[in-house]
Amino acid sequence: MTLLHPDRSADSPVAIRIDEVSKSFGGTRVLDRVSMTIAPGRLTALLGPSGSGKTTLLRVIAGLERQTGGIVAFDGVDADRLTLRDRRVGFVFQHYALFRHMTVSDNIAFGLRVRPRRERPDRQAIARKVSELLELMQLQGLERRFPAQLSGGQRQRVAIARALAIEPTVLLLDEPFGALDAKVRKDLRRWLREVCERAQVTTVFVTHDQEEALELADGIAIMNRGRIEQSGSPMEVFEDPRTPFVCEFLGNVNRFDCTYGEGYVEVCGAQFPVDWGGRGAGIAYIRAHEFEVVAREHAEGVPAIVDAVHPFGDAVALEVRVEDRPRTVAVSISRELWELGEIRKGDGILVRPNNVRVFRAAS
Amino acid sequence: MVEATALPAPKGTVLPGLGLTLGMTLAYLGLIVLLPLAAVFATAAGMGLDEILRLLMDPRTLAALRVSFATALLAAAINAVAGLVVAWVLVRYDFPLKRLVDGVIDLPFALPTAVAGIALAGLYGPNGWVGAPLAEAGLRVAYTPADIVVALAFIGLPFVVRTVEPVLADLDREYEEAAATLGASRLQVVSRVVMPVLLPPLLTGFALAFARGVGEYGSVIFIAGNLPYLSEVAPLLIVIKLEEYNYAGATTIAAAMLLTSFLMLLVINLLGNWTRRRAGHV
Repeated sequence: MTLLHPDRSADSPVAIRIDEVSKSFGGTRVLDRVSMTIAPGRLTALLGPSGSGKTTLLRVIAGLERQTGGIVAFDGVDADRLTLRDRRVGFVFQHYALFRHMTVSDNIAFGLRVRPRRERPDRQAIARKVSELLELMQLQGLERRFPAQLSGGQRQRVAIARALAIEPTVLLLDEPFGALDAKVRKDLRRWLREVCERAQVTTVFVTHDQEEALELADGIAIMNRGRIEQSGSPMEVFEDPRTPFVCEFLGNVNRFDCTYGEGYVEVCGAQFPVDWGGRGAGIAYIRAHEFEVVAREHAEGVPAIVDAVHPFGDAVALEVRVEDRPRTVAVSISRELWELGEIRKGDGILVRPNNVRVFRAAS
Repeated sequence: MVEATALPAPKGTVLPGLGLTLGMTLAYLGLIVLLPLAAVFATAAGMGLDEILRLLMDPRTLAALRVSFATALLAAAINAVAGLVVAWVLVRYDFPLKRLVDGVIDLPFALPTAVAGIALAGLYGPNGWVGAPLAEAGLRVAYTPADIVVALAFIGLPFVVRTVEPVLADLDREYEEAAATLGASRLQVVSRVVMPVLLPPLLTGFALAFARGVGEYGSVIFIAGNLPYLSEVAPLLIVIKLEEYNYAGATTIAAAMLLTSFLMLLVINLLGNWTRRRAGHV
């Protein structure tokens, strides 16, 4: 698409390679030999709980922090050799960091106006660019406003427009939806995808919201304690979580302690094969939707008492008490089944898992 | 028929108590500020116009006014720069004993100015630690307007630091980082992003330091040498007139100072408002 890149439409988006990058603040290690590649032109999510190092990694990519070890390369060029200006990253801060003494237009034009004279577009070119971006971001009519006069969603769009104005090689967004309310979030998610696709720019965003990452990104890197636990497409990481942490972080899961032996593991009244021999303790994860629920009279399954019913979504969420477990188990069933079975709080039901992920417990 | 719920429409404003608080404000301002000021003008007006003009055109009076305003302006300007640096260091960096340094800034507020004057005179006087080497080097600061500027710089520093500090603290690092990622050089970051936001409080601090400096008496008389036409400040001249029981003369000089100060503060504040509007404080 050439609207945003009239002068560099031949440029292909940039690939980022992160190689053994570490970062320490004082004595604390925030990033621990992180390696990943970010595909050009794709939307990549850095997902993890707070304190996992995801924002620091984003800032290292941007050049706002200097890594203590390792290399960040943009299309094979060591980014350390590039100045902040030459990296041309569009960085969207969590709280947008709009210049409050400038109008919307002036904010967007900032990156063009501060260019050295010989690279600076003339007045008309800047005005054209600004109005293009205003249109793309659906901000027409707000150009003379100051940031204080805008809503949260509008501010975010101005921040993205400002970042896109410099025709960045990479667009980096720190918790892009963190400061917005739930309704606006959902709308903006879809819209951000469209913008990134149209702008054809390699995009990386940070989030702690798994749903956001799964829905929006082409690729996800799940971070924990300064390391990348797993990366891959949303489908890969969701269907095939490689570590207990990833398992717990993605989807609504229940954790069971179990023992395995003879190539089998028994969890919640059901047997599943495991890939390894011997005997030992394991941890099993079952997602809420991976339970079959039947009324008590029928056979097979573990008896459970319904502790709470939350019928407020596409699926009905149940909290059930399985006899010997102190914590309730989250089970989700379809609305039809729920209405058919007339399941209420206090009812006795049978639950049976139809899928499980087992990990050997660390010895 | 459904009857509409009758909520009393708020009259003008939703916040109650405007009448009472505004009344108190005006009464207090009138009693504490305006009445004494009016008295100054009333007393001064007791003299004939000829007499007033003769006094104001007196070279000694003019010299004293010039010394007062020039030194106050210069000291406020120096403080604007120094205070900005101090505020920057206090907000942006962490260093040992930061809280102690922070407390020291306020000392000029608390110290009786006469004490400050004596201390400064001891330092910068012809035999002082700083004054003696300077005098040997041929730079005489003692008993010159330079000495007055030093005293006023001391007195005025906290005004600038304390007005700039909260605004600077509010200006998150992110703004500078955002500007830098957009390609701004360090100089552009400071001139286009930081200074526009800091200018309004800086002007306010400047105005406060200036106003304080113009009226300063205690610290100045100990250090300035008080040579008529050279280092005699207007407040001192007022005291001299008072000691001669020349009340009308004293108040005339006071009224002249008031008017000049008022005009200068008005200009500074208008400038401040203009920069504030440009800084987007809506």
